[in-house]
Amino acid sequence: MAHIVAAYGLPHTPFFPSKVEEEGPSSPTGVMFGKARDSLAAAKPDVILIFDTDHYNTFFFDNFPILAIGIDEGFRGPNDEPRGGMPVYDVPSMPRLAEAIRDEGVRSGFDIATLRDFSCDHSVMVPLHFVNPGMKWPVIPFFISGHVPPLPPARRCFELGRQIRRTLEAYPEDLRVAIIGTGSFSLEVFGPRIRLGFTDGVPDPEWVHEVCRYLAAGDTEGLIAAATEDRMHAAGNVGGELLNWIAMLAFTDNRKPDFLDKQMENGHAYAGWRL
Amino acid sequence: MSVLELDRLCRETLRDHAFRKAMQTDPAAAIARYRLTEDEKRALLAGDVVTLHRMGVNDFLMGYLARFSICGLNIQTYSERIISAGPGGGH
Repeated sequence: MAHIVAAYGLPHTPFFPSKVEEEGPSSPTGVMFGKARDSLAAAKPDVILIFDTDHYNTFFFDNFPILAIGIDEGFRGPNDEPRGGMPVYDVPSMPRLAEAIRDEGVRSGFDIATLRDFSCDHSVMVPLHFVNPGMKWPVIPFFISGHVPPLPPARRCFELGRQIRRTLEAYPEDLRVAIIGTGSFSLEVFGPRIRLGFTDGVPDPEWVHEVCRYLAAGDTEGLIAAATEDRMHAAGNVGGELLNWIAMLAFTDNRKPDFLDKQMENGHAYAGWRL
Repeated sequence: MSVLELDRLCRETLRDHAFRKAMQTDPAAAIARYRLTEDEKRALLAGDVVTLHRMGVNDFLMGYLARFSICGLNIQTYSERIISAGPGGGH
């Protein structure tokens, strides 16, 4: 069986690679990603599963799944014009394991679309750039629609995580698996609630504090109950990215995180669990 | 309403560098390949992101117009205009 060895919640702000390149690894962003990178290295994973919301690059409105998984030998990214600080990577993957996740998921009632011969945008590649140096560990991307209404319910995303966990724990190979959920809690990008002269804004800082209180307490049930669709949209037009964290939390058994760092100016946080 | 076409057009400014250049230099000619209504063309060419937002164009994709300085937009003018749509001003 596969073992879940670690879980992380991480941001994917597109200019963070160039920012850390300029400001150095001792900058706040460099330090916070560094904690996750060191923790992941110590967990010695064989493969990473990342829950992510695509930003209309891998998918578009003419073909827009609520849930999807990438099944191939590997993928490339970012496919949305890097903002400096990172190359376009070729990332290895683990298609047989991804197929098992898809097959068992569909048989359990989760309608998971399949992606082959695909690429990913910054929302997958920025966290990987920081925590998977040289892309040495294979990565399986799992996509959850988190921007455009209607959003899948938080409860459903948590149950999806539980289903994937059952598949992993019954998988015949002895693998060490790390989980990442990526996204913001309160963030508006290019919508009416941005800051003057900026491309984004944090419309609902109190929601960031509230989400982090649930995370710090290991109160996943409380977070799921609070994370209604209206609440997430009210926190910004990418507020539904919280769903990627909620799917990830299905692997943490309500444990308190080993680290939890808020970055209020961006409406997000960094958290990690060694399991 | 051809909101999908407008969304597509915005995304192509990221993906297709020749189209981006055309949108920066002669947008009225560049948009001819898209099936847009006269109202949509007018709003787009004027950089009227409030009207586009109210038509239902995706904000994130519309932001590429500002990022690549298209139709008179930049981060400053885009933010001034979209903020005026107000939190309840769109979809």
